[in-house]
Amino acid sequence: MVSKAFRSTGYFIEYLALIFSIISVWTIMSNQGHLNTIILPAPNSILETIVELVADGALFTNMFISVSRVLQGYFLAAFLGISLGILIGLSKHLDRVTELIIQMIKPIPPIAWIPLVILWFGIGESGKVFLIFLGGFFTILINVVDGIHQTDPKLVEVSRSMETPFWKHISLMVIPGAAPNIFTGLRTGLSSCWMCVVAAELVSSTTGLGYLIMDARQFGQTDVVIVGMLTIGIVGKIMDSLLRFAEKKTLRWI
Amino acid sequence: MGGLSASALLKQEPYLVIDHVSKHFEQKKQRLNVLEDINFSMNKGEILCIVGASGCGKSTLLRAISGLDSDHGGQILIGGNEVVAPSKSRGIVFQEHRLFPWLTVEQNVGYVLTGISKEEKKKLVQEYVELVGLKGFEKAYPKELSGGMSQRAGIARALVNKPEVLLLDEPFGALDAFTKIALQKELKRIQRKSGTTMVMVTHDIEEAVFLADHIIVLDSKPGRIKLEVNVDLPVPRDRNSYEFLQVKKRIYEEFFEDEKIPEDFSI
Repeated sequence: MVSKAFRSTGYFIEYLALIFSIISVWTIMSNQGHLNTIILPAPNSILETIVELVADGALFTNMFISVSRVLQGYFLAAFLGISLGILIGLSKHLDRVTELIIQMIKPIPPIAWIPLVILWFGIGESGKVFLIFLGGFFTILINVVDGIHQTDPKLVEVSRSMETPFWKHISLMVIPGAAPNIFTGLRTGLSSCWMCVVAAELVSSTTGLGYLIMDARQFGQTDVVIVGMLTIGIVGKIMDSLLRFAEKKTLRWI
Repeated sequence: MGGLSASALLKQEPYLVIDHVSKHFEQKKQRLNVLEDINFSMNKGEILCIVGASGCGKSTLLRAISGLDSDHGGQILIGGNEVVAPSKSRGIVFQEHRLFPWLTVEQNVGYVLTGISKEEKKKLVQEYVELVGLKGFEKAYPKELSGGMSQRAGIARALVNKPEVLLLDEPFGALDAFTKIALQKELKRIQRKSGTTMVMVTHDIEEAVFLADHIIVLDSKPGRIKLEVNVDLPVPRDRNSYEFLQVKKRIYEEFFEDEKIPEDFSI
C-alpha cells in the first residue's frame, strides 16, 4: 500500500531502490557507449522525448484517448460482470448452464478476437471498446461468482430467517458478503482491460498509446516506444492504486 | 355454541405446541433417528429450556421450531398456526453472534425492520440497543465488539421486531463464565420486561434452572424427552439456594446416574 510505503524512510528507500539502481546502471552503460541507441536509448534521451511529447501534446492526448477507451470497456465489463455474476452466483442452475461456455471463452486472448471484431464492429470505436470489455469481463464475472459462493451460509441463513425482501437481501447481504472478491475482480479486471488497450488499438487506429507505440516502431523511434510503454505502466499503477484506495475506504469492516 | 365453555376460560390454550415431531437422517444407508416422537407445549410469555448433551438433537428441534428446517415428521404449532417456513415473527439468537460484519451495530439491529418510516426505525433501534446495554456502540462494527457485546447485539436484533417467540440456540455457550452470568440476568430481565415467549437450547443445567419456567431434558440417540421439569422458583433466583440446587441436582442426575448418592436422613 502506498501510504504505508511512505510512512517510514527506510520503507521508502527500499520501495524505490531497484528502479534507481536500474536507471543508474543503464545511464552508466549508455554514457560509456556500451549500448546501441537504436536498441536501447539512454535515459536522458528518453527524458528529452518525454519533454517533447508533452510539449506538443501528443503524449497526453493519446493517453487520455486510451484511458477513455479503457474506462468505457471497463465500466461495461464491471456492470455486466457484477450483475451477471450475482445472477449466476445465486442460481445453481444458471451456474451449471453457463459454466462450460465461460470456461471455454475465457482462455481466448482478446488479440485472437481482432479479426471477428473487425467483421462485427468495423474499425470504429465500438470494436476497440468491445476488445477491452472482453479483457476484463471474465475476470470480474468469475470473481463475483466465487465471492457469492464463498459467502458464509450462516449469514445467508440469518437474512433468510428474517424474510428479507429480495432487493434488500441483494444489496445488504449478497453484495457486501461478496465485496472482497468483487474488489479483487475489479482490480484484476481493470489491469486486464488496460493491458488490452494496445491490442485494441492495433485495429487501424490513429490515436491512443497503442497507436503511438506501433507508429513509432515503424519509424524506428525506440525512445517514443519506451515512453509509450512507460506511460502504460505508470497509468496502470495509478489506476490500481486508486482502486485499492477505494477498496480500503469501502471495506472498512474488515 | 353460545360462548366459551368454563374449562376453556379457566385453562389457557397452549401457545406453542410440539406435536409428535420426529426427524431422521440417512447416513450410509443407515437410518439415524435424531428426534423421536417429541411432544410438549408451553404458554405465551414463558421461558422453556431444552437441555441435552451434544448431538441429542436439541438444535435440530430448535431449527424445526424456527422453520429453517421443515423436513421433519409431526407438527409444530405457534398460536394455532403450523410452522412451515422461517418467519420474522420468530427471532433467533445463534451460538455464534452471526452479526453481518459489514454493518454497524445499529444497522445490524435494524436489518429486520421493513415498511416503517426512518424515524420510527431509528427510535426502535435505539430502544433495543439501550435495552441490551449497548448505548454508545451504535456505530461500531462487529469486529470492534467483545464476544459478550456481540451476543447482546444479536439479542437486540432478534427482539427489535417484537417477535412472538424468541429462539435461542446456546447463545451464551461460547462466553466466559462471568459474561455468561451477566447475560443470563439480562435476558431474564428483558423477558420480564417484554413478556416475550422464549425457547432456549442449552447444555448448561444451571443456566436452564436460572432462566426457565419449564425444562425439557432430551436423551441422545435417539433424541427423546427424558424428563420434564417445572421450575416454580421465585424470581430473581438465587443460584445457591437449597431449592435451586435441588432442581439442578435432579436434572444433573439424569445425565450422570452413576453419581446418584442416596440422601441421608439421619440427624
